[in-house]
Amino acid sequence: MPHFRRKDNGSVVSKNNLVQKRIVCRLWLAVLVLVSGSAVGQQEPISLSTVTVRATAPERFLAGQKLQRIDSVTLRQFRFQNLSDLLSMNSPLIFKNYGPGQLSTVSFRGTSPNHTAVLWNGVNVNQPMTGQTDFSTLPTVGFDQVSVQYGSAASVVGSDAVGGSLLLRGLPNYSEPGLKATIGYQFSSFQNQQAQAALHYAGPGTGQGQFAGKTVVYGNQFNNRYPYRERGYYYVEPSSAYQRGLMQDFFWRNRRNNQWSLNAWFTDNAVTVAPNDVLGRERTRTQGYRILSSFEADKWTVRLGWIRDVLDYAKSDFSKPSHSLTDRLLTRLEREFGRGPWQVRLGGEVVHYRTQVDGYGGKLITENRADLYALFRYQTTRLTMSANVRQGFVSRFNPPVTPSLGLDYKVIQRERGGLTARASVGRSYRVPTLNERYWQILGNPSLRPESGLNTEIGLTGRTQPTSQLVLTADLTAYRNRIDDWTYWNPDRNYRVENLQLVVAQGLETATMVAYSQGRWRVGGRLGYALTKSSQQRAYDVYARDIVGKQLPYVPVHNLSLTAYLEHQELRLTVRNQLQSRRYSTFDNSQSLPGIMLTDLVAQAPFRLGSVRMQLQGQVNNLFDALVLTVKQNAMPGRNYALSVVLEK
Amino acid sequence: MTQLFDQTNRSQTCFPGVLPLICSFTFSLFIVSCTAPDPEPSPYEAGVVVLNSGNFFDNNGTLSFIQGRGTTVNTDIFRTANTRPLIGGMQGYTEIDGKGVILVDNSTVGQDKVEIVEIGTFKSLGTLAAPDIENPRQVIQVGLNKAYISCWGATGDFSNFYPNPGYIAVVDLASRKVVKKITVTKGAERMVLSGSEVIVGNEGGEKAIAVVDLTTDEVKSRFDLGTNPQPIGLDAAGQLWVYSAKEMIQMNAQTKAIGSRLKINSPTDRYVGLITIGKERQNIFFSHYYYDAADGYKQKGEMYSFSTRDAAISLATPYINRFFSGFGIDPTNGTIYAGVTPSYKQSGYVLRYQPDTRRVVDSVKVEIAPSGFYFK
Repeated sequence: MPHFRRKDNGSVVSKNNLVQKRIVCRLWLAVLVLVSGSAVGQQEPISLSTVTVRATAPERFLAGQKLQRIDSVTLRQFRFQNLSDLLSMNSPLIFKNYGPGQLSTVSFRGTSPNHTAVLWNGVNVNQPMTGQTDFSTLPTVGFDQVSVQYGSAASVVGSDAVGGSLLLRGLPNYSEPGLKATIGYQFSSFQNQQAQAALHYAGPGTGQGQFAGKTVVYGNQFNNRYPYRERGYYYVEPSSAYQRGLMQDFFWRNRRNNQWSLNAWFTDNAVTVAPNDVLGRERTRTQGYRILSSFEADKWTVRLGWIRDVLDYAKSDFSKPSHSLTDRLLTRLEREFGRGPWQVRLGGEVVHYRTQVDGYGGKLITENRADLYALFRYQTTRLTMSANVRQGFVSRFNPPVTPSLGLDYKVIQRERGGLTARASVGRSYRVPTLNERYWQILGNPSLRPESGLNTEIGLTGRTQPTSQLVLTADLTAYRNRIDDWTYWNPDRNYRVENLQLVVAQGLETATMVAYSQGRWRVGGRLGYALTKSSQQRAYDVYARDIVGKQLPYVPVHNLSLTAYLEHQELRLTVRNQLQSRRYSTFDNSQSLPGIMLTDLVAQAPFRLGSVRMQLQGQVNNLFDALVLTVKQNAMPGRNYALSVVLEK
Repeated sequence: MTQLFDQTNRSQTCFPGVLPLICSFTFSLFIVSCTAPDPEPSPYEAGVVVLNSGNFFDNNGTLSFIQGRGTTVNTDIFRTANTRPLIGGMQGYTEIDGKGVILVDNSTVGQDKVEIVEIGTFKSLGTLAAPDIENPRQVIQVGLNKAYISCWGATGDFSNFYPNPGYIAVVDLASRKVVKKITVTKGAERMVLSGSEVIVGNEGGEKAIAVVDLTTDEVKSRFDLGTNPQPIGLDAAGQLWVYSAKEMIQMNAQTKAIGSRLKINSPTDRYVGLITIGKERQNIFFSHYYYDAADGYKQKGEMYSFSTRDAAISLATPYINRFFSGFGIDPTNGTIYAGVTPSYKQSGYVLRYQPDTRRVVDSVKVEIAPSGFYFK
């Protein structure tokens, strides 16, 4: 096991660069299997790959809450797919789909799409107009680390983190100086194709310092030439889409291990519905330009960012779209203090918004938001505790103060396994979106922010009875009470509906097993979530019909099951997703049927001289199940994909 | 009511005379009885068909059926009869010679439909789809097994919502086919049958009314009346009423000479809708509504009525002081059926009012956004 040393600020640096990468990777995989599903406490020696990891605030200051890191095997398996596909199969997150390649919004623990924060390198990139992210535009490729943070994290993240957060990071790989190039291509059914290329580089570590970085480019073209127009009486909506993006990370660290980084992420996605109907076709194009620069020293962190979101919607004549543009300019300053078991991080962030949206009347609207926060962490051998407080400030109104308290306690700590208990309580808030406040006619500038109270308890156990068998299990129960909930119907033509008081509560379990015997490896993951989310307060005589009823598009039961079989490096994976029906109305009078989806994936590596090649074939929707979108169109049936990735 | 099933095999009695004994003996041995089995029950014979628009992008409009004039409601009767949903919003329904015609408006272009069903059972007999049908608006009977369906055609973006003129799809219900398309005005909407003519209005911003000769299925003439003219119907005196730009216009149905123009004096932020002719064709009802900026732009308003012999329309006293999403009058007894939509994401209600006292008789829960009624 390689040596490593803990630094004062909690990050870990590997000292031993000479260990065979393969062994480390395998151990890393095993450890990921073990630690995913529980908050990463960085006290004990963990076998990290030779990557320097500076933990983000949600990872370090949210003791008592669950953090699930998606392992690299899964990230590679889903590299040609987007994060909504990956998370549907590997987490209890529910996605509301408007069609293949079309808008895909998340529901985390029974909350609405703008109750999940999406953090890119620590910065919330939810579109400020809608307060949401279209998960179909989040590629899997390009992110070095993808983690799911369960539960409210407002004290650490700020607005939007009511149901949970998704953490996306680009990380430097200083341990591999040189150049590594990857190129991949996927051909799939219906004349859809995807291409991606990546370049990872790192300079030699000199006395002065070292640089590292990556460039990733991807392009997806969905022609969606379905051989059928209908499936089982439901139309398959004709649509086409393209997705392209560029990610650029650049890191430089000096000999004192201070790091400068520059992260850039540009995306351009467009979906056209009914492209062949010249009059009735509709096109939605979103572009994102995100640049973040940071300087991290031992105690200080300074960040500057610029994020631009552009949304163009056009019908029939695509030359004159309805145009929306929002710029965000962000500054963040943090300072850390530590003494013994205590760690304190103080910080402040100021964001300036500039938005020009046709739907707001076309005039420029500006807004300033600021946050001040203090994060405390106390750590002993068995106990990790965090206590945080955050106050947001927004032009023209004030969100509530959001404190949180959480703890992890290692109940059992043995060589072959352990049991950790956790509990947390925290307040959350969500600032109304720009649409909710400024949209002409339907918006309401004096809308109150939502405020929530989240409580949860959980247990994580892991055991390794033999050197060949690893088992982990995780159980969490939560209750999230959200007041002044503003439900924004993403269909856009309808008014903002005020749900007033929602209680979302449930149970989540995840079990993982991995067994190896010689060259064979077998394992799997079973996840189940029970979610009950409903309105609790009647505000008029007709609201009585909806009090206590499950919120629309939140299935009560969600199960995901993945099983794999591996021989040497050939791997066969079966992925299943089962969901109970989802109601489409507040009074549960109508519903979309339940979902059962099965995918089959086969992976085979080859070697062509110094070039490594990975071949992956998959069958999606193996049983040709009929799955409906929210517009009551049928998703495509069984389809295939074949991809080749070359790495040097 | 047309009998839809062959009744000639009914009540076939056993051979008289010697064999009744054998008949009753064999009756107990064989499942096939001497009398033909009862015809399949038609659950939707007498009652009120309620059109529930649904939420536009959810494409979940449905038809409900109120049994008789009671309080039992069958929901989603099309799906019950055909094990598949309509997949779109409900735009209109009428019955023509034993067939029901349902207009289905889907949120995606090219996915609208007209479903033709057997009345009484609502089992599907045929479907009309794109490109013949795009944005169907209203259906009326113009002859034996013959219907006119007004259609907008595909709509464009908001700056040019009606790029092409609308049309009337001439449908032969016996063969379940569109036999002709008659080009009329942009946003072709309401139609009124008057003798051998059909008067067609529009929502497309034009001033013209088209007059179609139903013997030739051609546009006979056009004349300008006012912006977005909506033909309402013929009153007891045989006069044609048309609504346009806050005016109720009475005119001679044959000569098209204008008799009177009654103004509705209200501010420009008030709108008029749900215009319905009363049971005796001597009164006209309409909804007068607005969007309340102080209350999240919620739709509010009242129902008003005026007599066809009135010299002016007064907004002093509402007929019913409430906003409705649908309005209908039972031709048998004049009871008012009013649709109430609490939201587009939950079931709505139908309230029944006594026409003389304007008091609520009862209410039944139907489905999402009840917007129209068909009485049988």
